[in-house]
Amino acid sequence: MWHSVWRGLRATIPVALGVAPFGVAYGTVAAASMAPWQAQLMSLTVFAGTAQFIAASMLSEGAAYLPVLLTGVLINLRLLLLSAALAPHVASAPRALQPVLAQLLTDESFAVSLAEFEGRGSDWRFCVGSGLAIFGVWQVATAVGMAFGAAIPAGLGLDFALPASLICLLFLLVRGSRAVLVALGSAALSVGLVLVLPGTWNVMVATLLAATVGAAWKR
Amino acid sequence: MIAAAGRAAAGQTSPQSAIGLTATILALAAGTFLLRIVPLAVLTRVSFPGWLERWLRLVPGAVLAASLAQALLVQEGRIAFSATNVSLLAAVPAFLVAWRTRSVVLTMLAGMAAYALLQNLMA
Repeated sequence: MWHSVWRGLRATIPVALGVAPFGVAYGTVAAASMAPWQAQLMSLTVFAGTAQFIAASMLSEGAAYLPVLLTGVLINLRLLLLSAALAPHVASAPRALQPVLAQLLTDESFAVSLAEFEGRGSDWRFCVGSGLAIFGVWQVATAVGMAFGAAIPAGLGLDFALPASLICLLFLLVRGSRAVLVALGSAALSVGLVLVLPGTWNVMVATLLAATVGAAWKR
Repeated sequence: MIAAAGRAAAGQTSPQSAIGLTATILALAAGTFLLRIVPLAVLTRVSFPGWLERWLRLVPGAVLAASLAQALLVQEGRIAFSATNVSLLAAVPAFLVAWRTRSVVLTMLAGMAAYALLQNLMA
């Protein structure tokens, strides 16, 4: 049992270290819009990078809580795909451990686990170890980022740390011409909609419109 | 500007808003957990139609782009497309570094340096 967990953990460490800079970046920017314990609570309970960045971004712009919540859920809808694809591989796990497997599910541990399963067969214990590696590194990185953010004096461009991290995430996440067009359309719509929609609903409406047109478009 | 407003908000949180924010975090956590566990727990092989899978994959990038556009181009509820918009100008080197390096740390450093420099130049 523990052997497989350990193997999953070890196999995922390199990927987890690749995720660490994003955790540090999140910690750095999150401290501006919420209390440190709330930023850490989000890393512990939400544990989904992009949604955490967007929540921090919306909160720093003074968004109301409901759009923050709904936009976060919208981003994380994609987890349905990962969970459904993982389900047959972890069907033998005890039911009591399903919540653990679910909470630890991320793109990174999903990718490492599925690559392992192709060669060696499915093993839910490996998934637990893999998820724990990402989870642990994400928590530490968040805390380090908050200490880092608190140490940067005002006037050193800290106000731009959040937009800059979104720019990098955008480059990593938007792949392929369809996705690029949808992103551009969503950006243009959200700015245009600011004039007619109050608060931060423009982001959500722009996303729904652009993604729906983009998904329906036939080439 | 953005983080300064946020810092002020975080600094002056009333007990109500601290509770509201914590509740929002926990509600997002609960929603996210459901998205993670429902397909796992159902166990029957769920397959999504192609258009839905495409839609789900397009959403995060669309949210990022929309939020970023708002952060860079909208100031106090109005479109600020001008040469005095420091955020917009600082985004140029940040985009270049992100494109060349794909490193979040380098992108942040480049963007922050450009932002601080431009702020000093324009002050």
